[in-house]
Amino acid sequence: MAHYHDQPTIGEMLERHGVSRRTFIKYCTAMASALALPPLAGRAMAEQLRAALRPSVIYLSFQECTGCLESLIRSFSPSIENLIFDVISLDYDDTLMAAAGAQAEMARDKAMKDNYGKYVLVIDGSVPTGANGAYCALGGKSAVDILREAAKGAAAIVCVGTCSSFGGVPFADPNPTQAWPVSDIVSDKPIVNVSGCPPIPEVITGTLLQFISTGKVPDLDEYRRPKVFFGNTIHDRCYRRPFYDQGKFAKSFDDEGARNGWCLFELGCKGPTTYNACATTKWNGGTSFPIESGHPCLGCSEPNFWDKGSFYSALSAPRWGKAGEVSPGDVLKVVGGAAAVGAALGVASAGLSRLRQRHIEKSTTNNEAKES
Amino acid sequence: MSRLGEIPIRIVSRTPAASTGTIGAGVTAILIEIATQLDRLADGGEPGAIDLRSLPMSPGDREQLLKALGPGEVTITLKGDGESTINETGIQGVWWSEYRDRGGELIAGFIEIAQVPAILPVEPDQLRRGAQQLRAGAAGAAQQPGN
Ligand code: SF4
Repeated sequence: MAHYHDQPTIGEMLERHGVSRRTFIKYCTAMASALALPPLAGRAMAEQLRAALRPSVIYLSFQECTGCLESLIRSFSPSIENLIFDVISLDYDDTLMAAAGAQAEMARDKAMKDNYGKYVLVIDGSVPTGANGAYCALGGKSAVDILREAAKGAAAIVCVGTCSSFGGVPFADPNPTQAWPVSDIVSDKPIVNVSGCPPIPEVITGTLLQFISTGKVPDLDEYRRPKVFFGNTIHDRCYRRPFYDQGKFAKSFDDEGARNGWCLFELGCKGPTTYNACATTKWNGGTSFPIESGHPCLGCSEPNFWDKGSFYSALSAPRWGKAGEVSPGDVLKVVGGAAAVGAALGVASAGLSRLRQRHIEKSTTNNEAKES
Repeated sequence: MSRLGEIPIRIVSRTPAASTGTIGAGVTAILIEIATQLDRLADGGEPGAIDLRSLPMSPGDREQLLKALGPGEVTITLKGDGESTINETGIQGVWWSEYRDRGGELIAGFIEIAQVPAILPVEPDQLRRGAQQLRAGAAGAAQQPGN
């Protein structure tokens, strides 16, 4: 975790490490592919990155399970070694760094001072505010104080995981530690939410690389998630979709339908209401994703996914279709037969105002949080 | 259930398997897209590419696509940080590229429609650096005793 005061460009760093231009284009092409950019954009991205300065990244972990970092360090494209040592300067990460205790805190303070106004602050975990922040403290300071201080000098904040993005599991009812997402604590900085429990590694690195190569916060959806990764639902891009459209559903995990690879909607799949890149980017270097392994989507990249009832109840369950909106349940009641559900649900979901649905979800989130 | 292989799973492709010889609608659409891009290139347009990752293809679809394009006569191996391959298909100017990391994992896959795949050409500054390197080498050799 060296810190370079002479601020070399990424291209110079790459040359020092013996990474050829073609190799770097290869990685950028892979990244462009993960970002769903046009395939030939990888080359342009490589040239932009080669000319960019190596940015300082400070990674703070609060109330979390380390699953997000586990996901990040298993990133395939580009491999984390390349990302950390060649492209970014990871100045502080208490889980990965060799230094510990006061030395580590000093490294963090120094990186913040040296790169004031320029560093990317990555936050993983929600921020507990109960008992004056005592539920999560590092070096005698509460997470909420550390966050406020670190946010001051950040160029942008990237929230990695559903906990820092939306509160996640710690925020779930009854939220005993009064945990909050970062966006409820910091309001004066650009915040990008890379949600997921954990997020897909390529989505984390892709978001960071996109920010570094362009110097700009990417286009975000209503939940501040990068549209390139969160622009489609799992259902939009699911390879089981033809079965959904034909009304062919698995009814249990070991029935004929499950063995035939039919749609998992009736086993609780939250794919139709979940925005994420699992169906295209996939996991473990593009090997597969939960639905491909026979398990319904849990909806982990959506706010409050933990409080929306059973993972195994079909979306018609009341907590997923909000009051006053057309819900798949209504469609089921009206249409009846499963064969017609696929087509009818598609129409009904398209007709829903996504924005309105999200506003309702958001106010529910806030009310629930206030009640706790 | 003691072994993975004993779990009864049957994989059903959404398009008929390549062995049946019938080409699925998804594969036909890709072939038409490639043909359109070939026409554009022939008319002086820009090279194009299709990202294999962005297409929700089943293994059956992929097999069909490879079969429809057929094997070609050029194979290129890129050795930077893992071995990547670029194979020309039976349709000249259509390249099947697979980029791999040093662990051999596939990190990107494309069908490129180009005279030469975009990753290959060398930039002028690299040509100059090469020339400098050779001249420095030659100058060093000339100064050695016996020359
Ligand atoms: S409901 Fe789930 S399994 Fe079925 S098509 Fe949609 S995302 Fe795929």
